Amino acid sequence: MEKVADRNKKQAHDVDLEQNQYLTFMIAGDTFAMGILAIKEIIQYGQLTEIPRMPAFIRGVINLRGAVVPVIDLNARFNMPEARVSRRSCIIIVEIHTEEGEKQDIGVMVDAVNEVLEILPADIEPAPSFGANIRSDFIGGMGKIKGRFVIILNIDQVLSLFEIADITSVASMVRKSSETAERMAA
Amino acid sequence: MNLDEALQTFIEESSDLLTQMEEALILSEQSEEISEIVNVLFRAAHTIKGSAGLFGFDHIVSFTHVVESLLDRVRTAELELTSDLIALLMYSRDHIADLLEDMTPEPGNVSDELREKGDRLVEQLKCHLGSDESMPTKPNEDTSVAPNRTNCDQRPVRSENWHISLRFAPDILKNGMEPFSFLRYLSTYGDIDHVCTVPDAIPSEEKMDPEISYLGYELSFKSRAERSAIDSTFDFIRDGSQIRLIPPHADISEYIELITILPESNERVAESIRKCGSLTQEECRTALSEIQRVSAADRTQVSRSDIEASPPAPKSNPSERNATTVAKNGENRFIRVDSVKLDRLIDLIGELIIAGASTSMVARKIGVAELRESTSILSRLVEEVRNTALNLRMVQIGTIFNRFQRVVRDVSQELGKDIELIVEGAETELDKTVVERIADPLMHLVRNAIDHGIEPFELRRDRGKPDKGTVRLGAYHESGSIVIEVEDDGGGLDRDVILAKAVEKGLVSEGQSMSDHEVFNLVFEAGFSTAKEVSNLSGRGVGMDVVRRNIVDLRGSVELSSRLGEGTSVKIRLPLTLAIIDGFLVGIGNATYVLPLDMVVECIELAAWNQEVGDDKRYLNLRGEVMPYLRLHEHFGISGKIGKQRNVVVLNYAGEKFGLVVEKLMGEFQTVIKPMGKMLEKVQGISGFTILGGGDVALVLDVPGLMRQIVLEHEREEDTVH
Repeated sequence: MEKVADRNKKQAHDVDLEQNQYLTFMIAGDTFAMGILAIKEIIQYGQLTEIPRMPAFIRGVINLRGAVVPVIDLNARFNMPEARVSRRSCIIIVEIHTEEGEKQDIGVMVDAVNEVLEILPADIEPAPSFGANIRSDFIGGMGKIKGRFVIILNIDQVLSLFEIADITSVASMVRKSSETAERMAA
Repeated sequence: MNLDEALQTFIEESSDLLTQMEEALILSEQSEEISEIVNVLFRAAHTIKGSAGLFGFDHIVSFTHVVESLLDRVRTAELELTSDLIALLMYSRDHIADLLEDMTPEPGNVSDELREKGDRLVEQLKCHLGSDESMPTKPNEDTSVAPNRTNCDQRPVRSENWHISLRFAPDILKNGMEPFSFLRYLSTYGDIDHVCTVPDAIPSEEKMDPEISYLGYELSFKSRAERSAIDSTFDFIRDGSQIRLIPPHADISEYIELITILPESNERVAESIRKCGSLTQEECRTALSEIQRVSAADRTQVSRSDIEASPPAPKSNPSERNATTVAKNGENRFIRVDSVKLDRLIDLIGELIIAGASTSMVARKIGVAELRESTSILSRLVEEVRNTALNLRMVQIGTIFNRFQRVVRDVSQELGKDIELIVEGAETELDKTVVERIADPLMHLVRNAIDHGIEPFELRRDRGKPDKGTVRLGAYHESGSIVIEVEDDGGGLDRDVILAKAVEKGLVSEGQSMSDHEVFNLVFEAGFSTAKEVSNLSGRGVGMDVVRRNIVDLRGSVELSSRLGEGTSVKIRLPLTLAIIDGFLVGIGNATYVLPLDMVVECIELAAWNQEVGDDKRYLNLRGEVMPYLRLHEHFGISGKIGKQRNVVVLNYAGEKFGLVVEKLMGEFQTVIKPMGKMLEKVQGISGFTILGGGDVALVLDVPGLMRQIVLEHEREEDTVH
């Protein structure tokens, strides 16, 4: 019994440790971080199938060992130009829980992955209400790393299934505006 | 098999048997030849009783026993199966279903409401049953079924008071409740004439716990209050307590039941009831002697059912016996399989198909003839395995159609209409998950047809229609889909009324020209109308938007046609299965798309129309037929390097054709459909993903969705032009 208790304690301790651990990565030259608990794996950017009529941040879908996983381009999600594929481009596979308790894997495309760091709660400041380049509800907090502030993403909000499903649904119904303009011009 | 599993099996089996009973009862109303039907009924009741006995569900056993006895009489032609009796048996069947349902969360506890209902039914059943039938009642069983009596006459007791029997939960004091406060509260409804305390449960001094309530009470209570009012007094302490009310001048059987149920010895209980004045000395004696007689009869009953278990004496002629054997063998052909196992199998076959496809592709690339040959044999086998496996999930749609016989019968009786339900194509098969999820929308449509479709018979006469209304449920296969039709010969929809309504609701603008078809299908729009308003207009539309949504969720479609005064028809089109389809691959640039092969009619080179196709044209001339078409790369806005679009795939859906212009035709492909997932599920024009042999993901095109989009976009463009 004691052993089990010890193990439980150790696991609880591990979880505590993991809760303070963050993966840092690069988007458009800036460093961002997210908690590692939601991350399932990191894969190299590879073969990807585009889906027509999607907003720019839906990069496409990949085959992850037989499962089809959508990939979100964080550059575009933050309203920056679409990410350019480079040798260091990565897809972080994140597990999101839906409101109905289902799980869904989603790929997050980033320019590069840096490292896993520990950021203690004491070193995390609340998100500023303005001044950041990205939507304030995407920011979970500002983590202090080596004297610099790094945006810790609120990944549930960034990958909000509800919001994205609405956007994709509308997007699939309308022709991309540039084409309509072209057609009009012609 | 542990007990829970066994219990689950029992419940499933019993509900199957109940369905059989229902079907048989409905059939017996129409059919002349009823002996086999009665046999089915009897067997079902007998099996349920037997299995319930194994689990110790005495309340089900005793109720079903009465039903079975009655059916036995019918079987031996001692009783005639009148329509009254059929109705009663139908209610009894429902009651058994209720009992089973009630048990599902917590076996053994029967709600008071059910208990009373059961009592009433048993009364009625026994009136049919006549005199010398005995039934099993165990002294301690938790059932409300009264022991039988020698005849159906009521034997009310003399007492003018309610009798209340109380055995409080032992921990009532610990929960901060004071039993006497309830007795005090009771006196707000009337006077307590006499209380007799039953101290039998008090243990010896040393074992006694002062915090436990040991005392029982028998009360004679004078009151004019309703049962529910008196009963409500005890609402807070019902848990764990035994509280029984017997109304004034109740039948003695209720006391007999009370005496047998209470934990104290029968004599003690009878004595205390007598003391508080609810039973006279005489009545007390009758009750006790009855109980003794019944428990004796119970013992004989056991030996009787042993005999019943052995095959029935060959009193019927040989051919009839053959029929039964055949039926028996039929029953044995089925194996009950957990659907999870089946799903797992289908998943695996899906993987097998993907792996097989990639092997074939490699074989083709390598170009060794022998390898190609053996992979082609392999893929043919895999295809067969796939079809067989998918077939395992297929069930006949008749399983839900038959449910509607009952609905039509009940609802039309309720409304005082004479309506016949005609079922066609009940043997048409489709995927079990689809069947389950289409049942509710269908129910809605059938009810609508009965409620709002078929007119009252005076009106039917005026219109020169037969008094009897007809609702037709039909199913058939058509190009990879199943079509289900719900048709009535009722009043039909009034175009003007619907249009006016739609204008009022802002769904269409006034003066907009619309075909009848378009107008009628407005009833599927969300917020078209609420139930009340529509039934006043003799139209339909009770939650029709929900019906459509359910069907669209199954990747199906629904449309309605109607003629005023002649009737309405609703056509539902559903895919046969949700998991694996035969696909047809087409390509544009590097992208590959899958079309359901069932919908592909032919492929034609675009060059055939070379002269006629301009950028502004939206139609092709297909051997004299006007066919709308779509350039897929334009529609999808595919940019980058693409080759010449030179092939037209002609697709057929719901009787309409349309053409899809693509670059490459790449042949057939067995497609395992992967769901879109939460993030993309609302995307239009794509119904799923699949994984190609090389590991790439391809999009499965949603043909009905694309057709809808073409129509919408054409309309929009026309609007901007004008």
